[in-house]
Amino acid sequence: MPRRRTPDGGRRPQRRKSVLHGPGGEGGDAFRCVGCRLEVPLAAPGTAHRNHCPHCLTSRHVDRRVPGDRAADCGGRMAALSMTVRSNGEWLLIHQCVTCGELSANRIAGDDNALALMRLAMRPLADGKLPVRALLTL
Amino acid sequence: MSDHDLDGSRHRRTSTDPARTGAIPRAGTFECLRCGLTVTRLGPDGDVRNHCPSCLHSQHVEDHVRGGPAECRGRMSPIAIAVLRNDDWMVIHRCTRCDELTSSPVCRDDNQLILMRMAVRPLAQPPFPLEVFADL
Repeated sequence: MPRRRTPDGGRRPQRRKSVLHGPGGEGGDAFRCVGCRLEVPLAAPGTAHRNHCPHCLTSRHVDRRVPGDRAADCGGRMAALSMTVRSNGEWLLIHQCVTCGELSANRIAGDDNALALMRLAMRPLADGKLPVRALLTL
Repeated sequence: MSDHDLDGSRHRRTSTDPARTGAIPRAGTFECLRCGLTVTRLGPDGDVRNHCPSCLHSQHVEDHVRGGPAECRGRMSPIAIAVLRNDDWMVIHRCTRCDELTSSPVCRDDNQLILMRMAVRPLAQPPFPLEVFADL
Protein backbone atom coordinates (compact mmCIF):
# COMPACT_ATOMS: atom_id res chain seq x y z
CA MET A 1 0.00 0.00 0.00
CA PRO A 2 1.49 3.38 -0.88
CA ARG A 3 1.77 5.90 1.88
CA ARG A 4 -0.85 8.59 1.64
CA ARG A 5 1.09 11.26 3.50
CA THR A 6 4.10 13.07 2.17
CA PRO A 7 7.31 12.84 4.27
CA ASP A 8 6.95 16.37 5.61
CA GLY A 9 3.63 15.44 7.23
CA GLY A 10 1.34 17.38 4.92
CA ARG A 11 -1.12 15.86 2.48
CA ARG A 12 -0.30 15.70 -1.19
CA PRO A 13 -2.51 17.81 -3.45
CA GLN A 14 -5.59 16.13 -4.89
CA ARG A 15 -5.14 14.30 -8.17
CA ARG A 16 -7.14 15.49 -11.14
CA LYS A 17 -10.11 13.26 -11.85
CA SER A 18 -10.42 12.46 -15.57
CA VAL A 19 -13.59 10.43 -16.04
CA LEU A 20 -16.49 10.79 -18.40
CA HIS A 21 -19.70 11.84 -16.73
CA GLY A 22 -22.09 12.15 -19.66
CA PRO A 23 -24.75 9.54 -20.48
CA GLY A 24 -23.23 6.51 -22.17
CA GLY A 25 -19.71 7.47 -21.17
CA GLU A 26 -19.63 10.71 -23.16
CA GLY A 27 -17.74 13.68 -21.89
CA GLY A 28 -19.80 16.04 -19.82
CA ASP A 29 -19.37 18.72 -17.21
CA ALA A 30 -22.35 17.70 -15.08
CA PHE A 31 -24.02 14.61 -13.63
CA ARG A 32 -27.56 13.96 -12.51
CA CYS A 33 -28.14 13.00 -8.88
CA VAL A 34 -29.70 9.56 -8.47
CA GLY A 35 -31.42 10.71 -5.26
CA CYS A 36 -33.12 13.98 -6.17
CA ARG A 37 -32.48 14.26 -9.96
CA LEU A 38 -30.65 17.57 -9.54
CA GLU A 39 -28.25 18.45 -12.36
CA VAL A 40 -24.92 18.90 -10.56
CA PRO A 41 -21.94 20.64 -12.20
CA LEU A 42 -18.60 18.91 -11.73
CA ALA A 43 -16.75 22.03 -10.64
CA ALA A 44 -17.03 22.27 -6.88
CA PRO A 45 -15.52 24.87 -4.55
CA GLY A 46 -12.87 23.38 -2.28
CA THR A 47 -12.48 19.93 -3.86
CA ALA A 48 -11.46 18.32 -7.15
CA HIS A 49 -13.30 15.10 -6.28
CA ARG A 50 -16.98 15.95 -6.17
CA ASN A 51 -18.86 12.68 -5.91
CA HIS A 52 -22.11 13.58 -4.18
CA CYS A 53 -25.06 15.84 -4.77
CA PRO A 54 -24.71 19.14 -2.86
CA HIS A 55 -28.45 19.21 -2.20
CA CYS A 56 -29.30 15.73 -0.84
CA LEU A 57 -25.69 14.40 -0.34
CA THR A 58 -26.49 11.21 -2.28
CA SER A 59 -23.68 9.58 -4.25
CA ARG A 60 -23.35 6.66 -6.66
CA HIS A 61 -21.22 3.54 -6.34
CA VAL A 62 -18.95 3.71 -9.39
CA ASP A 63 -15.45 3.97 -7.91
CA ARG A 64 -13.75 1.35 -5.79
CA ARG A 65 -10.86 2.98 -3.96
CA VAL A 66 -9.28 5.76 -5.98
CA PRO A 67 -11.63 8.63 -6.96
CA GLY A 68 -12.40 8.28 -10.65
CA ASP A 69 -11.09 4.73 -11.18
CA ARG A 70 -14.60 3.49 -12.20
CA ALA A 71 -13.64 0.00 -11.00
CA ALA A 72 -16.90 -0.85 -9.20
CA ASP A 73 -19.58 -2.51 -11.30
CA CYS A 74 -22.32 -2.03 -8.68
CA GLY A 75 -23.72 1.34 -9.74
CA GLY A 76 -26.04 1.54 -6.75
CA ARG A 77 -27.23 4.63 -4.92
CA MET A 78 -25.06 5.59 -1.94
CA ALA A 79 -26.85 7.27 0.95
CA ALA A 80 -25.03 9.54 3.38
CA LEU A 81 -24.55 7.56 6.57
CA SER A 82 -22.55 9.67 9.00
CA MET A 83 -20.00 12.42 9.43
CA THR A 84 -16.41 12.16 10.56
CA VAL A 85 -13.53 14.56 10.98
CA ARG A 86 -9.92 14.38 9.86
CA SER A 87 -7.23 15.31 12.32
CA ASN A 88 -6.90 18.71 10.61
CA GLY A 89 -10.59 19.47 11.15
CA GLU A 90 -11.93 18.71 7.68
CA TRP A 91 -15.35 17.11 7.58
CA LEU A 92 -15.73 13.82 5.72
CA LEU A 93 -19.02 12.32 4.60
CA ILE A 94 -19.38 8.55 4.94
CA HIS A 95 -21.60 6.98 2.29
CA GLN A 96 -23.05 3.49 2.31
CA CYS A 97 -24.18 1.79 -0.87
CA VAL A 98 -27.82 0.74 -0.49
CA THR A 99 -27.27 -2.07 -3.01
CA CYS A 100 -24.13 -3.80 -1.73
CA GLY A 101 -23.42 -2.13 1.63
CA GLU A 102 -19.95 -0.85 0.71
CA LEU A 103 -18.71 2.18 2.66
CA SER A 104 -16.75 5.13 1.32
CA ALA A 105 -15.56 8.48 2.61
CA ASN A 106 -15.42 11.78 0.75
CA ARG A 107 -14.58 15.34 1.77
CA ILE A 108 -17.49 17.73 1.86
CA ALA A 109 -17.57 20.43 -0.80
CA GLY A 110 -17.95 24.15 -0.25
CA ASP A 111 -21.47 24.26 -1.69
CA ASP A 112 -22.91 21.27 0.18
CA ASN A 113 -26.22 21.84 1.90
CA ALA A 114 -25.28 23.07 5.38
CA LEU A 115 -28.60 21.99 6.88
CA ALA A 116 -28.23 18.44 5.58
CA LEU A 117 -24.63 18.28 6.87
CA MET A 118 -25.65 19.59 10.27
CA ARG A 119 -28.54 17.14 10.48
CA LEU A 120 -26.18 14.27 9.78
CA ALA A 121 -23.61 15.47 12.32
CA MET A 122 -26.27 15.98 15.01
CA ARG A 123 -27.96 12.60 14.54
CA PRO A 124 -26.09 10.71 17.33
CA LEU A 125 -26.77 13.55 19.75
CA ALA A 126 -30.43 13.90 18.81
CA ASP A 127 -31.95 11.19 20.96
CA GLY A 128 -30.32 12.48 24.15
CA LYS A 129 -29.45 9.10 25.66
CA LEU A 130 -25.74 9.31 24.85
CA PRO A 131 -24.87 12.39 26.98
CA VAL A 132 -26.73 10.90 29.94
CA ARG A 133 -24.90 7.59 29.68
CA ALA A 134 -21.57 9.38 29.20
CA LEU A 135 -22.15 11.44 32.34
CA LEU A 136 -23.18 8.35 34.29
CA THR A 137 -19.85 6.70 33.55
CA LEU A 138 -17.93 9.61 35.10
CA MET B 1 -27.42 -18.02 20.94
CA SER B 2 -28.00 -21.54 22.21
CA ASP B 3 -25.53 -23.80 24.00
CA HIS B 4 -25.46 -26.00 20.94
CA ASP B 5 -23.92 -23.18 18.87
CA LEU B 6 -21.31 -22.49 21.52
CA ASP B 7 -20.30 -26.15 21.67
CA GLY B 8 -20.14 -26.36 17.91
CA SER B 9 -17.80 -23.39 17.62
CA ARG B 10 -15.58 -24.79 20.36
CA HIS B 11 -15.27 -28.07 18.50
CA ARG B 12 -14.44 -26.23 15.32
CA ARG B 13 -11.73 -24.26 17.06
CA THR B 14 -10.04 -27.33 18.44
CA SER B 15 -10.17 -29.18 15.15
CA THR B 16 -8.89 -26.33 12.92
CA ASP B 17 -6.53 -23.61 14.03
CA PRO B 18 -8.28 -20.23 13.46
CA ALA B 19 -4.97 -18.42 12.95
CA ARG B 20 -4.17 -20.75 10.07
CA THR B 21 -7.57 -21.04 8.44
CA GLY B 22 -8.49 -17.38 8.95
CA ALA B 23 -11.87 -18.24 10.44
CA ILE B 24 -13.07 -15.94 13.20
CA PRO B 25 -14.01 -17.94 16.28
CA ARG B 26 -17.27 -17.11 18.03
CA ALA B 27 -16.11 -17.88 21.56
CA GLY B 28 -12.93 -17.18 23.51
CA THR B 29 -11.01 -13.96 23.96
CA PHE B 30 -8.83 -11.63 21.94
CA GLU B 31 -6.32 -8.99 22.93
CA CYS B 32 -6.90 -5.39 21.88
CA LEU B 33 -4.19 -4.19 19.51
CA ARG B 34 -4.13 -0.71 20.99
CA CYS B 35 -4.69 -0.93 24.72
CA GLY B 36 -3.87 -4.61 25.28
CA LEU B 37 -7.13 -5.36 27.10
CA THR B 38 -8.21 -8.98 27.00
CA VAL B 39 -11.74 -8.94 25.59
CA THR B 40 -14.25 -11.77 25.43
CA ARG B 41 -15.55 -12.53 21.94
CA LEU B 42 -19.15 -12.63 23.09
CA GLY B 43 -20.70 -9.38 24.27
CA PRO B 44 -23.14 -9.04 27.16
CA ASP B 45 -26.09 -9.65 24.84
CA GLY B 46 -24.60 -12.83 23.38
CA ASP B 47 -23.56 -11.23 20.08
CA VAL B 48 -20.05 -11.50 18.67
CA ARG B 49 -18.07 -8.31 19.07
CA ASN B 50 -15.16 -7.23 16.98
CA HIS B 51 -13.87 -4.15 18.80
CA CYS B 52 -12.42 -3.43 22.21
CA PRO B 53 -15.09 -2.01 24.56
CA SER B 54 -12.53 0.25 26.25
CA CYS B 55 -10.85 2.05 23.33
CA LEU B 56 -13.21 0.86 20.51
CA HIS B 57 -10.26 -0.12 18.30
CA SER B 58 -10.58 -3.18 16.09
CA GLN B 59 -8.45 -5.32 13.80
CA HIS B 60 -8.78 -5.73 10.05
CA VAL B 61 -9.38 -9.47 9.83
CA GLU B 62 -12.33 -9.65 7.44
CA ASP B 63 -12.30 -8.58 3.81
CA HIS B 64 -15.59 -6.81 3.21
CA VAL B 65 -15.20 -6.32 -0.52
CA ARG B 66 -14.46 -9.89 -1.56
CA GLY B 67 -15.60 -11.64 1.62
CA GLY B 68 -13.55 -14.03 3.70
CA PRO B 69 -10.44 -13.30 5.76
CA ALA B 70 -8.23 -10.29 5.01
CA GLU B 71 -4.46 -10.43 4.86
CA CYS B 72 -4.03 -6.89 6.18
CA ARG B 73 -4.53 -7.47 9.94
CA GLY B 74 -3.90 -3.77 10.59
CA ARG B 75 -5.32 -1.82 13.51
CA MET B 76 -8.68 -0.18 12.83
CA SER B 77 -9.45 3.04 14.64
CA PRO B 78 -13.02 4.27 15.23
CA ILE B 79 -13.82 7.38 13.21
CA ALA B 80 -17.58 7.93 13.33
CA ILE B 81 -20.94 6.91 14.73
CA ALA B 82 -23.78 6.15 12.35
CA VAL B 83 -27.41 6.05 13.42
CA LEU B 84 -29.45 3.73 11.25
CA ARG B 85 -33.10 4.19 10.38
CA ASN B 86 -34.12 1.64 12.99
CA ASP B 87 -32.21 3.63 15.68
CA ASP B 88 -29.39 1.08 15.83
CA TRP B 89 -25.96 2.55 16.30
CA MET B 90 -22.92 1.53 14.30
CA VAL B 91 -19.26 2.39 14.83
CA ILE B 92 -17.40 3.11 11.59
CA HIS B 93 -13.82 1.86 11.68
CA ARG B 94 -10.99 2.81 9.36
CA CYS B 95 -7.95 0.59 8.92
CA THR B 96 -4.83 2.58 9.78
CA ARG B 97 -2.85 0.45 7.33
CA CYS B 98 -4.95 0.19 4.17
CA ASP B 99 -7.74 2.79 4.79
CA GLU B 100 -10.54 0.24 4.44
CA LEU B 101 -13.83 1.24 6.09
CA THR B 102 -16.04 -1.15 8.05
CA SER B 103 -19.02 -0.74 10.32
CA SER B 104 -20.00 -2.77 13.35
CA PRO B 105 -22.84 -2.45 15.84
CA VAL B 106 -22.29 -0.64 19.12
CA CYS B 107 -22.17 -2.99 22.10
CA ARG B 108 -23.95 -2.19 25.35
CA ASP B 109 -20.72 -2.02 27.38
CA ASP B 110 -18.78 0.12 24.88
CA ASN B 111 -16.99 3.14 26.32
CA GLN B 112 -19.61 5.90 26.34
CA LEU B 113 -17.04 8.66 26.70
CA ILE B 114 -15.31 7.70 23.46
CA LEU B 115 -18.68 7.41 21.72
CA MET B 116 -19.56 10.88 23.01
CA ARG B 117 -16.21 12.27 21.87
CA MET B 118 -16.74 10.91 18.35
CA ALA B 119 -20.26 12.34 18.24
CA VAL B 120 -19.29 15.88 19.21
CA ARG B 121 -16.01 16.05 17.31
CA PRO B 122 -17.56 17.47 14.10
CA LEU B 123 -19.22 20.23 16.09
CA ALA B 124 -15.92 21.37 17.61
CA GLN B 125 -14.63 22.69 14.28
CA PRO B 126 -17.66 23.36 12.05
CA PRO B 127 -16.85 24.37 8.47
CA PHE B 128 -19.52 27.06 8.55
CA PRO B 129 -20.67 29.44 11.30
CA LEU B 130 -23.29 27.80 13.49
CA GLU B 131 -24.88 31.16 14.37
CA VAL B 132 -26.72 31.04 11.04
CA PHE B 133 -28.86 28.16 12.29
CA ALA B 134 -30.15 30.24 15.19
CA ASP B 135 -31.97 32.51 12.73
CA LEU B 136 -33.85 29.63 11.09
